Amino acid sequence: MIPIAISMLRHDGPKFMALVLAVALAAFLTQNQASILSAFLGMTGSQIRDVREANLWVMEPDTECFDQAKPLKQTAVQTIRGFSGVEWAVPVVKVDTNARTEAGKLSTVTLLGVPEDSRVGEPRMKLGDASAIYRRDGAVIDPGGFSLLFPGQTFKSGMKVRIHDEWLTLHGISDAAPPFTGFPVMHVSQTTAMRLNRAEARATTFVVGRMLPNADQQAITASIRRETGWKAMTRTEFENASYDYYAAQGVPNLFYITIAIGFVVGIAFTGQTFLMFVKENARAFTTLKVLGVTHGQLGRMMAAQAGLVVFMGLGIGTALAVGVTEAAKLMPFLRALYIPWEVALACGGVIAAVTFLAAGFAFNKVLKLQPADVFRS
Amino acid sequence: MNAETTTNAVHCSAIRKSFGSGETRTEVLRGIDFTASQGEMTFLVGPSGCGKTTLISIIAGLLTADEGHVSLFGEDLSALSPREQILFRRRNLGFVFQQYNLLPSLTAAENAAVPLLAAGMNRKTAVARASEMLDQLGLGHRVSAMPRVLSGGQQQRVALARALVHDPRLIVCDEPTAALDHKSGESVMNLLATSAVHPDRAVLVVTHDNRVFHFAHQIAHMDDGVITHVDQQALNSRLQSSPS
Ligand SMILES: Nc1ncnc2c1ncn2[C@@H]1O[C@H](COP(=O)(O)OP(=O)(O)O)[C@@H](O)[C@H]1O
Ligand SMILES: [Mg+2]
Repeated sequence: MIPIAISMLRHDGPKFMALVLAVALAAFLTQNQASILSAFLGMTGSQIRDVREANLWVMEPDTECFDQAKPLKQTAVQTIRGFSGVEWAVPVVKVDTNARTEAGKLSTVTLLGVPEDSRVGEPRMKLGDASAIYRRDGAVIDPGGFSLLFPGQTFKSGMKVRIHDEWLTLHGISDAAPPFTGFPVMHVSQTTAMRLNRAEARATTFVVGRMLPNADQQAITASIRRETGWKAMTRTEFENASYDYYAAQGVPNLFYITIAIGFVVGIAFTGQTFLMFVKENARAFTTLKVLGVTHGQLGRMMAAQAGLVVFMGLGIGTALAVGVTEAAKLMPFLRALYIPWEVALACGGVIAAVTFLAAGFAFNKVLKLQPADVFRS
Repeated sequence: MNAETTTNAVHCSAIRKSFGSGETRTEVLRGIDFTASQGEMTFLVGPSGCGKTTLISIIAGLLTADEGHVSLFGEDLSALSPREQILFRRRNLGFVFQQYNLLPSLTAAENAAVPLLAAGMNRKTAVARASEMLDQLGLGHRVSAMPRVLSGGQQQRVALARALVHDPRLIVCDEPTAALDHKSGESVMNLLATSAVHPDRAVLVVTHDNRVFHFAHQIAHMDDGVITHVDQQALNSRLQSSPS
């Protein structure tokens, strides 16, 4: 009876298409929005993860995320180095300031100062050599930042960016993870960063460090907090804190609304279309009942119809979502965009469940068809 | 017609059925006693609205009577569970409808194969057997045709193949020629008489088409919810032109 069910659905071309497209649209919308949301929120930890060597982050108590950080006095480094279980600690200077190109393009940029002696936080490079940042006016820039400041241009070593009254020379393109803020990320030496930090000349922003391999990380961060009054977190804790800070800002709600619309459109449209399908095929379903097709068989028939719709709709929708994501990734700012398999699976699972539920409602109508109506025309 | 060689396939006694309630309540069947025998084609005739369709719906187990008793081949359908009733119908009954009721998405052979497929027969065997049945009914060249390209008479022959393919013991037809022109109707009735009538099978035909009355072995006349009289020898009287 399953092939009969499939042929009934395929024979009703417009409704079959409407069902598949509704599921495809719902799958596309939800997977697309959920993956953009997860990629964006994932970016909140980009600069934390980029300091690969550090598993300890210390900051001013009011600092809630990487992007909005209060300055910390420079002597904090010595203090942190004094804690037992801390293998090493170095300052990380972050400066948010304005930059201008020779062509007059303006943007807020994030300068990250890499300590010359330890080179902790030195970026991986796409083009050029990171050691160029230790020259007096040397800098490297992330791909998104480059395309923002130099739209349509190809990188040439020696391009210049003006900050305050100094021209920095770009020696390469870094592989820095894209920042949540969307601002260009420029790595410079710590000396350069501090020189350009006009607002807080003798301060650092974070102290990052490494805790000894077998140390009790929670005990160390707790003792730093207790004895200094600063915030001290493991790398993962700071990533989560930055994530939570942005997640609480309300922006995710916009995504949740779109995702919810995707699911609601999915169930409303497929539910309605399945009902219409049953209504218009009522004579066929009634005839099958009269000819001795059991309710169990009819249920399996509708399940097969829903299954085909889910299979095709999810296939098309997911392919579309992947295609759009791959295309969007070509833009430097969206380079971190991808569809986590958990997102694809969760969206697909909910949509499949919703489609089967919709078919279930329609099946209820099939159950209610009166066999005796088979003789009415 | 000798009583020894015929068995009651359908036996109804004191069937009552009404629709609606209160003011709008109408009694459609008002005490029906009726039998149809194996090996015979029984016609149920009478004016429109007199209750013919209601009666065969009850006989086929598609409706339940308010009062009275129906047995098919000695089996009391009302004693069966709903699921058992469906399985009984699938095994023992064949149906022919005025509007053919073919599934538009299936070929002629697939349509005729539905009772076999519903019973779980594998698709290939079922379609092959249905094709044979279509061939017997003169539609061997149309097995792969979709219903929409077939004429009314051809569609009704596909429906007839569907009613016969699983070799049921009772065939119920509601106005099988009403949607057909005289020639097609005559040919469908001819096929019913030659292919459906079988010593182990009863054929029950509701019609008000008096042009085909001569095919019946027995004609039950119905009016306003009761059976007024039964012509037992209809076929024989025609053949022998002797009074009943
Ligand atoms: N489900 C129903 N609800 C209400 N009235 C019905 C229903 N089915 C049949 N009737 C009425 O019962 C009467 C007999 O109908 P039917 O058995 O179809 O007659 P026939 O087949 O002889 O034309 C008609 O008046 C019809 O309107
Ligand atoms: Mg009728």
